[in-house]
Amino acid sequence: MLSYIVRRLLLMIPTLIGVTAVVFFVMALSPGGVGGTDLNTEGELDAQSRAALRDYYNERYGLDKPLVVQYGRWLNRVSPIGFESGQAGAVEWSKPRLLKWPDLGESTSKRRPVIDLYKEALPVTLLLNVLVSPITFLLSIWAGIHMAKRKGRAFDLAAGSTFLGLWSLPQIWVGVLLLGYLASNQYLQWFPTGGLSSTRADEWAFLPSWSSGEFNRGWLLDRAWHLVLPVICLAYADFAFLSKLMRSSVLENISADFVRTAKAKGLKAKVVLYQHVFRNSLLPLITVSAGVIPGLIGGAIVVESIFSIPGMGKLSVDAVFARDRELILAGALVSGVLGLIFILLADLAYAIADPRVSYD
Amino acid sequence: MTSAAAASSPEVLEAAKPAAPRSLLHRTLDRPGAWVGYAWLGLIALAGIFAPFIASSHPWKLVLADGTMEYPLLAHLTPADVAIPVIAGLVVATVIARRWLAARWAWGGCVGLGVLAVALSWGLVNPPELTVFERSRIMLADGSAVSATYTLIPYSPSDRFRDQPGRGLDLPIAPNATHLMGTDRAGADLLSRMIHASRVALAVGFIATGIALIIGVILGGLMGYFVGLVDLIGMRLVEVFSAIPVFFLLLTFVAFFPRNLYIMMVIIGCTGWVGYARFVRAEFFKLRAMDFVQAGRACGLPLWSILFRHMLPNAIAPVLVAASFGVPSAILYEATLSFLGLGLVDEPSWGQMLSQATGAGGNFYWWIAMYPGLAIFLTVFGFNLFGEALRDVIDVKS
Repeated sequence: MLSYIVRRLLLMIPTLIGVTAVVFFVMALSPGGVGGTDLNTEGELDAQSRAALRDYYNERYGLDKPLVVQYGRWLNRVSPIGFESGQAGAVEWSKPRLLKWPDLGESTSKRRPVIDLYKEALPVTLLLNVLVSPITFLLSIWAGIHMAKRKGRAFDLAAGSTFLGLWSLPQIWVGVLLLGYLASNQYLQWFPTGGLSSTRADEWAFLPSWSSGEFNRGWLLDRAWHLVLPVICLAYADFAFLSKLMRSSVLENISADFVRTAKAKGLKAKVVLYQHVFRNSLLPLITVSAGVIPGLIGGAIVVESIFSIPGMGKLSVDAVFARDRELILAGALVSGVLGLIFILLADLAYAIADPRVSYD
Repeated sequence: MTSAAAASSPEVLEAAKPAAPRSLLHRTLDRPGAWVGYAWLGLIALAGIFAPFIASSHPWKLVLADGTMEYPLLAHLTPADVAIPVIAGLVVATVIARRWLAARWAWGGCVGLGVLAVALSWGLVNPPELTVFERSRIMLADGSAVSATYTLIPYSPSDRFRDQPGRGLDLPIAPNATHLMGTDRAGADLLSRMIHASRVALAVGFIATGIALIIGVILGGLMGYFVGLVDLIGMRLVEVFSAIPVFFLLLTFVAFFPRNLYIMMVIIGCTGWVGYARFVRAEFFKLRAMDFVQAGRACGLPLWSILFRHMLPNAIAPVLVAASFGVPSAILYEATLSFLGLGLVDEPSWGQMLSQATGAGGNFYWWIAMYPGLAIFLTVFGFNLFGEALRDVIDVKS
């Protein structure tokens, strides 16, 4: 098992190089190139200061070098094993380093180290995911089993078409409707319109408290209150999709030979369902979870933009609007690493759930 | 699937081929869900094809004070406005002509005439460069025109009240008798934009999926057929595109290229091929060892013939199901990009309209949220219903 994990981790390296290379070269080959917008958005410059600015960018980021060299320099800066980086990220071949801290560069639009921006944004997105995934998986397992148990009856049919409808609901529409009807001042104002905390939440106690007859909801409850709408918006589609998957998976197993045998030897229906069918039915769910969780990170782009949550998705959108090369490349790297790790975890979980599968 | 039985003799395969896809579509009609899907998709297809003839600020016929007549609607048609109905007509004619003509001739003729129609309409149709939407209304008001025959909705999608002097503070207008669905923030008639946007949505959905399908089938086919090194390299490419959320990739690509409908289609197509490649690869893995493929190779058939004439028809069913779910996801991608402000700028798009529903100041305009959102939802739902029906028909097991 250990050697398998190590092999998979090593195989991630070419994939990550591929991901960042695709993103890099698409950016570099686009009209205007990487530095184009920065030169344009600096306002009306006279020829002299424009030239000075271009020289500065060339010196700082090596933009006058061939693309392959630029990409190689970026790779060298990011890689933990490599060479020292000199001016404009130039590789100093005489100074090899075995282990160094990856340098993600400095964001051109926010003028801050990229690593700091991600240190702030990544936990927010992961928090959303940590909240959403268990809720969706547990609920959809429950719903799928109950639909399968009542196959062809009213509950199954109603839930089946409801879930297809839920699955088809566009996230942007749900987000706008939730915001409009539950958070705007024209209709019900039950929830905040955006953000992660109220303005003064930092000064509050962690837990809800009553002081001098006045209720203070505290930091934790405030955070939960802000997260209700984004979590709904992020969860409903996967919930519908996974429920349908669980239903068909349970149905497939119920008609299998081993279930008939289990029933024939006199096991109770509950034992058959929850001990024999259940475990086998989880397998397809594990398979797709490799795609669901990176999908949640992608979905966070939309949800974080609608509810203005300062997570990775919002950061990506900001980076893309500003054509911020360093920030976008780092985003590709971070989401690539997360995606590959989740794929690996799903494969490992598959081996744990299904004893027939072994990676040794 | 009948592939295993048909595989042994090429004649059976040849005889079964033309009938197979048609009967599949026919059989989806057994499901009530598919009817709902077909009905809505037919409606927006009609709306998209005939959009300029349903909603336009230019009247069909304008009678001037001196008795002469003008036909502003026809004069303002763009090449696409002409080419799209012609192509739609060609497709319908081909489907009817299939009763008497072999598939090769019917579809070959359809493609040929379609290309000709596109070339002719881009060559011959040239609308005036400066469009004044107000013209007929002003002429009617000052008496230089006597009467005008308008289309059903007398507003073009880009006919914005914001551009008129003295307007702008009253915008957006809530639904009323003249604007059945109200207007957007710039004062363009929402219903008119909705109708024109259905063309954009369907075009993006089908063309992007088509591009993805072509890339996926070719790469997946080569990977499944050659195995070995080609497969290893191909799978790394597949892994690259599936490791990172597709939407993130889309966002990056879209931001660096000009905002343009055609570029958007290509970008969505180029990022969405991975699933198809996986399906085709898996099917080709199974097929490559079969007798009919070996026989084809022994006969010295060229590679493209083995891959696409003999193997592909046997592998296409799961790919078609995936594609019928791919079209709505391409539509969703377009809507989401436009919603985030990274999509189309001037062309009407459901997602771009939806983004105007909420805004600074906490205002919420229910009509701008409800109608475009409902249109996206129903379209995606329609395609999903159709896809489910198709999957049930193809996959006998479930």
